[in-house]
Amino acid sequence: MKWDKQQAVDVDTNRAGVAMTETMGTSEEKLRYLRTQLHRAMQLEHATIPPYLMALYSLKPGSNLDAQNILRVIVVEEMLHLTLAANLLNAVGGLPDLTVDGFVPRYPAPLPDGETAFTVNLAPFSPDTLETFLKIESPVPPAPDAALRGTRRVLYGALSSGLGSTTDEKRFATIGEFYRDIEATLNQLYEDMGPDRLFTGAVDRQVTSNYYYSGGGELFPVTDIASANRAIQLIVQQGEGYTESVHDAEGEIAHYYRFYQLKVGRYYQRNDPPDGPSGPPLDVDWEAVFPVGKNLSMDDYRHLPEVRHAAAAFNESYGSFLRLLTDAFNGRPQILSEAVPMMFRFRDKFLQLVHYPLPDGRHAAPTFEIGPRRCGP
Amino acid sequence: MLFPQGATKKTTFKAACETVHDVVIVGGGVAGAIIADELAKAHKSVLILEAGPAEDMTLAGYESYLRRFYGATSKDNQAPYPVNPNAPMPRGPEARKITPGQPATGGYIVQNGPFASDTTYTRVLGGTTMHWEAKVLRMLPEDFHMRSQFGQGVDWPLNYEDLEPYYELAEAEIGVSADVEDQQYLGLKFRKGYEFPMQGLPLSYLDRQVDRGIENTAVTVAGETHSLRVRPFPQGRNGIPNPRYAGGQGFKPVGAVNTAQVEIGERCQGNNNCVPLCPVQAKYHAGKTLAKALKRGGVRLLPQAVAAKVQLRDGRVSHIAVKHYADPASPAFEEGNIRAKVFVLCANAIENARLMLQSDLPSTSGLVGRNLMDHAYLLSWGLMPERCGTMRGTNCTGGIVDLRGGTFRRQQAAFSVDIHNDGWGWATGAPYSDLTLLVDDENEFGCDLRRKLAERVTRQLLLAAMVDVLPSESNRITVDPRYTDALGNLRPVMSYNVPEYTLRGVAYAREFSRLVFQRLGAADHTAYDPEDYGYVTYEGEGYIVRGGNHLAGTHMMGTSPRNSVVNTEQRSWDHDNLYLAGGGSLPTIATANVTLTIAALCYKTASAILRDLS
Repeated sequence: MKWDKQQAVDVDTNRAGVAMTETMGTSEEKLRYLRTQLHRAMQLEHATIPPYLMALYSLKPGSNLDAQNILRVIVVEEMLHLTLAANLLNAVGGLPDLTVDGFVPRYPAPLPDGETAFTVNLAPFSPDTLETFLKIESPVPPAPDAALRGTRRVLYGALSSGLGSTTDEKRFATIGEFYRDIEATLNQLYEDMGPDRLFTGAVDRQVTSNYYYSGGGELFPVTDIASANRAIQLIVQQGEGYTESVHDAEGEIAHYYRFYQLKVGRYYQRNDPPDGPSGPPLDVDWEAVFPVGKNLSMDDYRHLPEVRHAAAAFNESYGSFLRLLTDAFNGRPQILSEAVPMMFRFRDKFLQLVHYPLPDGRHAAPTFEIGPRRCGP
Repeated sequence: MLFPQGATKKTTFKAACETVHDVVIVGGGVAGAIIADELAKAHKSVLILEAGPAEDMTLAGYESYLRRFYGATSKDNQAPYPVNPNAPMPRGPEARKITPGQPATGGYIVQNGPFASDTTYTRVLGGTTMHWEAKVLRMLPEDFHMRSQFGQGVDWPLNYEDLEPYYELAEAEIGVSADVEDQQYLGLKFRKGYEFPMQGLPLSYLDRQVDRGIENTAVTVAGETHSLRVRPFPQGRNGIPNPRYAGGQGFKPVGAVNTAQVEIGERCQGNNNCVPLCPVQAKYHAGKTLAKALKRGGVRLLPQAVAAKVQLRDGRVSHIAVKHYADPASPAFEEGNIRAKVFVLCANAIENARLMLQSDLPSTSGLVGRNLMDHAYLLSWGLMPERCGTMRGTNCTGGIVDLRGGTFRRQQAAFSVDIHNDGWGWATGAPYSDLTLLVDDENEFGCDLRRKLAERVTRQLLLAAMVDVLPSESNRITVDPRYTDALGNLRPVMSYNVPEYTLRGVAYAREFSRLVFQRLGAADHTAYDPEDYGYVTYEGEGYIVRGGNHLAGTHMMGTSPRNSVVNTEQRSWDHDNLYLAGGGSLPTIATANVTLTIAALCYKTASAILRDLS
């Protein structure tokens, strides 16, 4: 569909109007809140992708096979979650937009909550990076590592600079809680408004499994309360895992436990307890990693024209990718097939950068400084 | 799809020898996998003997194939698969010109000639479906009646209608991407309301350029006019699932197979090295079916176990003598006997025949090993007038299939023409050969080199005509005690000539390619080197014929023990509890790549075995 300036403005207005759910009276206010939170959900799901890609592409070719595959499958599932969040937003009449200024956070994105705060960096694969990933995907207890419990606070808020102030909004201890709030609001609205007034989005705006499928989960259209709840369940279960066991009902392992396998060097088998994977060993070679600089910015390349051009080209192509996703999520799902060659192209640019040694011994990397949408569609 | 962890180690050789299994299957390729899965559904105990090491379906195993392929200088069909002297396989680059009277013994297959074939099959878990192109054409209805309709070859003891329900099962298992409306031609019929599991893959840009060029072109052969168009091929690779499949139930594609949970449901990305190995497992391989079978329980897999002799007692098979080796690098092995109620050989047309002949089993018809068939490929290559995006794709998305059937089959072989998205690779070694040429001979470098390489390669058009070969008793596999492998098993000895009927088709296919090039304004660069091992002459013209790896005929199916080796259920006429499954059973190969028909027949065979066991 055509990009509609007026609608974009409406979305921003909605954001500004966000307040605590408790104080929201009318269904209209609650619906605006729901749409904003679903926008945040998209932003949150996307925000994990650049750090995970950075870790993935920092692995030297031919090494760290297990780590490569684990990181890769997680990135792919984050893309699924992003798309499911877009389906949810579309279902309730929202307008997904991945191009608003600040949609991609400027890393490091700090988590502003006291002593247990952590920041998410664009950093190479390392034990530290893995610890951060474990924190990102940290489940509601029980978790194998008690020290990690409850450390993630208001992650979405920290990563959501583009979506207005976080100070007077609800805070959530985990992504699970964040989604449970969405779930509660959604179901409340369903009771208040009924399906016809809640699910007002056109069905042809939904992205279906025609355009995405994965061994780890299925993409489906969100058209009613059942599919909406199912989408929320899937996102949460694949991420941190709602349940107390490592495997869910389909035998799939949540992201937290996938990462935990890298930490302890062993795969889980069916029926393993969370703290005791007993599957085959898994080799991690911490040395076979390009020493890419942490949180590099274009400024770091100011005296290196070739790197600057390559990094700018990457940001440009990543920006076009987000524009394409926005168009796809706004009524043109069929153009997602064009995203495939696009992803190959920015993967190549990504790899080109991480192979490039900087004068100080670190390697270059994409900066993910994605500018605002410059002009119309 | 999760390949059950430790599935290849669940049984030991000793334990396998001490058990009487319901069914023993020799070979973990597509035929063995389908039969095992069907039997497992009915809770039968099944043992699969696999000659290779069977580490392929682990993450590290599959990745090691990929690394070997990426690092190989020769990107041939077997490039990803390691050399294993204990279960050797033919490799294309081993093919040599044959001096009359002197067999070529350099490769695994000893070749008597006169034609030197570069045909291959892959002896690893998953079999030749690891390297196949995954083109899954049904045979035409007329293909089943070659003798009665055209006076050539033989009739099948089955017809298209008999096979149709099994084709549907095979298409479901392989997860075929195709649209019914594209596949209804030359009498090909589909059940009313039938839908393929996945939507057809789109034609490549190159296909569409060719289609535009041959618009309104027709050829007249044997008084019959055939108008031409480019049609998409049905493909055994993951595309967009068809929501209308199975009366609106839709289809769930099977993704990459792995022992660790790092799999994702890969769909085709157009990597363009389907042959010899899909890097993302979007292409169907028998490992996907094996993983399912092994998960059901009841199925055991014994790797590194090479069947050596099928033993009879009172006309029935009592056991198979097996050589089990501990290390592919060492010829040391232990021997044992594997017992079962029913035995199924699924080791491919050449290996099945080789094992039967090595076992010296009596045969009423004397046809074991005879009637060896393999499609004859004729390649023609030209340069398109403008860039056509060659090298994007999967290997092949479309082709010209209008000459798969027609009355001309009374005189000459039918053929199907593939448009290759990977340029002249098969014929000349492009794009590597183009790079060498530009650097060494034309002294290009830098930006000019990049530009010229792209300019040249993206205009390449390769037409591969897959020409029908009819059964001929003198085309055959035998064994000879002089030629053995590392374990002392007899190697296959091949005597083969391209029949004249096929050569007439080859000659016509060459003329046909010229016509297509002319319509496209393409410059014909085809040249057949008389020094090439595949060089043949017909009516004063020389051609190079390549093997198709579509092996068939060596234990042909028929109506009686006198005219054939197996019946329509692939059961040996001479041995009640022995089935010979796979391409060897096909009486003719017509112009369809053989795997889909093999898979279909195996569903029929599985029901027959279940009947035996009940």
